[in-house]
Amino acid sequence: MGKIISLKDINYSYFGKIPALKNISSDIESGEMFCIIGQNGSGKSTLLNIMNALIFPDSGEVYFKENKITEKSIHDKNLNLRLRQSMGFIFQNPDVQLFCPTVFDELLFAPLQLNMSIDEAHERAEQTLSYLNIEYLKDRAVHMLSGGEKKKVAIASVLTMNPEILLVDEPLSGLDPKTQTFFIELLLELNKAGKTIIFTTHQLDLVDHIQPRVAVLSEDHTIEKTGTATEILNDEEFLISVNLIHEHIHKHGEETHKHYHSHYVFHKH
Amino acid sequence: MWNTIPAYLLEQHEPVVFSENTGKTKLPFLERTLRKIAATIKLMYLQSEVTTEKKILHIHPQVKVFSFIYLIVVISLANTVCSQLTAFAFIVVFYLISKTSYKYVYRKILFLSFVFGLLIFLPALLNGITPGKIVFKIFTFNTSYQFWIYHIPQTIGITDSGIHIVSLLFLRVLNSISLAMLFLFSSSFPQLIKGFKVFFIPDTFIMIISLAYKFIFILSKSIEETYFALKSRLAGNVNNKNLQNIISGRVFYIFKKAKSNYENTYSAMVSKGYCGKVIFQKENKLKVADVYFLLAAIVSGIIIILI
Repeated sequence: MGKIISLKDINYSYFGKIPALKNISSDIESGEMFCIIGQNGSGKSTLLNIMNALIFPDSGEVYFKENKITEKSIHDKNLNLRLRQSMGFIFQNPDVQLFCPTVFDELLFAPLQLNMSIDEAHERAEQTLSYLNIEYLKDRAVHMLSGGEKKKVAIASVLTMNPEILLVDEPLSGLDPKTQTFFIELLLELNKAGKTIIFTTHQLDLVDHIQPRVAVLSEDHTIEKTGTATEILNDEEFLISVNLIHEHIHKHGEETHKHYHSHYVFHKH
Repeated sequence: MWNTIPAYLLEQHEPVVFSENTGKTKLPFLERTLRKIAATIKLMYLQSEVTTEKKILHIHPQVKVFSFIYLIVVISLANTVCSQLTAFAFIVVFYLISKTSYKYVYRKILFLSFVFGLLIFLPALLNGITPGKIVFKIFTFNTSYQFWIYHIPQTIGITDSGIHIVSLLFLRVLNSISLAMLFLFSSSFPQLIKGFKVFFIPDTFIMIISLAYKFIFILSKSIEETYFALKSRLAGNVNNKNLQNIISGRVFYIFKKAKSNYENTYSAMVSKGYCGKVIFQKENKLKVADVYFLLAAIVSGIIIILI
């Protein structure tokens, strides 16, 4: 264990006008399951983009394994290669992520870039297809797949890099319940296998299922609180204050009642 | 639910050691260009949306469009350096009133003015093109030359008339670009497009333009996301052929996305009762501020012309 990513006093704004992140500081340990929660527009995806050195903060420092990542330093070929190899980013919208003609090409893309032999890359891609039970998609055109299939291919294409860290933006977005369960179990198994998983969500159910360490982004774009899933989910007043639960009518069989929306907090199930 | 985890995923990672000076990465030119375009569109879109306190933002769109066209004509007609400098002073005042962040536009203004207002007119400084009194000698030949229809004098230099003409042209371009940028960055797009009604452009055409703009904005977001996705996986050596395949695939994706966007939008319009004729709400009547703005623009124009 040890710090794998450190964020120190990160500030980011769009064109100096619209604040996206304010004074963000956090350390993520190797092998950790870390979740960033917050309402829409709180800056979750922006924070993941900064961790992956896709964009760079206006001020503050980002460290990957104690190496400072800056816009200038990432132009170094070696640093860029090692960083990209170590971090796999699964975007919320799999469409933007898949750019090869077929599923198999997609899975081969990363290993071949990392100078792996063709045979080894093929073996790795085959194993990954088999692991995710998507062998039947091997020769299919990527743009013809369903949303859930695209998401599976997107994660498979990142897994073939064997990244140390998986950054997952809204893992359950747009997925049916069965595929959601698939992803939850997959994230847990990959974490058990030693991968550091960092994901964003606004779904408290997912936090309850996975029990990660949680950082909560407020609508003011700051980290309001960091703690265990249980600590965060049990703090009802806090969840209301950051707009992650709200009052609405709820129906159980014939009984209808009105309360704040969170099964974990109010029903304990 | 799935098979056993592949062995390679359980392999220990080697410690990451970063070395310096191993060469620079270069993202493909096309990708960088796409991203720049996306960022510019986003900036143009956001600039007018983020600051609600801009007084000039709330000026009646048709007044704004009329004032803009009027001032552009005035700048084109102003024939002295002094009048162009006066126009520039007025434009700066308009920038201050509008609270438009000059920081984000001045580079664009200076670049465009330099290229279209200075660089291409530079030869006009020389006596070979603009005759006049030489104020700065550059080169002297043994004798003058006659080449086709051109006369090359013995002494090549910058003339006073050349300086005057180039200054005038540069200031004219600078003022026109500054004004256009002010107009763009101090207007929300829907407001700006409604302003074109001053030219009696039909509502349906206005609707088409505003939809096209919306698509461009959505697509620019897609282009940016695509660029990030590519960047996050472009780690090592990608040969040109592979890159060409990737980029052509991305262009296809963007085309497909555009197609599905406009099909869905059309369906949404039809489902809301659209049957070939667009009916917009009527624009509000002129307010006192609109009249003041119009008067200020007209008076500025008269002063510029009279100087």
